[in-house]
Amino acid sequence: MRESEDELRALMIAGLAGDARAHQTLLAALARLLQSFFQRRHRDAADVEDLVQDTLIAIHTRRSTYDPARPVTAWIYAIARYKLIDHLRRRRLDTSIEGLEEILAVEGFEAATSARMDVDRMLDTLPAKQAAAIRDTRLDGLSVAEAAEQRGISQSDVKISVHRGLKALAARLKGRR
Amino acid sequence: MQTEELIRKLSSDLQPVPPRAIERRLGGAVTVGVLVTLALVIAGLGLRPDLAVAITGGMFWLKLGYTASIGLGALGLTAQLARPETSRIAPLKWLLIPIALLTAVALAQLLEMPPAGWGHLWMGRSWKLCPILIFGLAIPIYLGLIVAFRRFAPSRLAATGAVAGLASGGLAAAIYCLHCPEASALFVLTWYTLGMALAALAGALAGTRLLRW
Repeated sequence: MRESEDELRALMIAGLAGDARAHQTLLAALARLLQSFFQRRHRDAADVEDLVQDTLIAIHTRRSTYDPARPVTAWIYAIARYKLIDHLRRRRLDTSIEGLEEILAVEGFEAATSARMDVDRMLDTLPAKQAAAIRDTRLDGLSVAEAAEQRGISQSDVKISVHRGLKALAARLKGRR
Repeated sequence: MQTEELIRKLSSDLQPVPPRAIERRLGGAVTVGVLVTLALVIAGLGLRPDLAVAITGGMFWLKLGYTASIGLGALGLTAQLARPETSRIAPLKWLLIPIALLTAVALAQLLEMPPAGWGHLWMGRSWKLCPILIFGLAIPIYLGLIVAFRRFAPSRLAATGAVAGLASGGLAAAIYCLHCPEASALFVLTWYTLGMALAALAGALAGTRLLRW
């Protein structure tokens, strides 16, 4: 029972016009969406609940930054991603020496971030659609269904784009050697 | 369940959001900041005594055009970065246009002047004060932008801070033109640009703290 991009966008636009019921339905749907988004990226259940609520509040108070001409899921995931990164940063500042493993885990996150810059450079050489599909499903951890919703294309389209993009990248890497 | 209660609270008393809400909020904040800076220039520094004559000449408008175009261009970018999904900053290539135009005028002025006068074209009378004053005058506008951003959702904090700083610096420099009597393009190219760049740098540094949400 996952709402599609079109449904979410319609609710969002109605909420912006002042429809409180549409807004409430939207937030409830997003609570489920965010729950699974954060669960897949974070282990601590209490943290996940905090993140969901924090993100819902941000979505509500900053709803004027949504541009109705753009996909609403992209806007929502951008806010969720910001909240997750902010959470991890804060965590690192607050952690004492005892939580060393956690610090190391976050350091790994930083290393992954800089590795990602190289990946971004490689993806830029692909057609935009293939690059976007790989970014969504392989880097940002969206499911094929989520990626399809966000970009407004079919699921098989996403799969094919990922497949072709990875194949092109592999061919390019071989050629470079 | 707590989340459900939160949702109910958030949805009660829902205010409609007018279209172009970002532009309105940003516009209001910039207007207040610009008025404060304008008051500081008029009351604190004073208008240049020859203002009435200066506005009939090209140099006054060249200075104003250079600084205002940078300020307004950066303000447009700032508005884009208010949205969280803006992950890449639009290229700053457009900045080269005003800089290139002013450089051309500066070269023309240099060629007209014997080399003995080049030092004066570059340093003018106020090179020490000019960048500092522009930087200081940018602060009220920058703070206005920061207040506006309390309802926005920037995801690139340093970049947002930098373009907000550049916008403040550009607009502050444009207002500073009402005070500053320097008439050399090379002077503006060096010291005005330095003041705006300082504002952008400080804006980036402060932005990573002030823009968090």
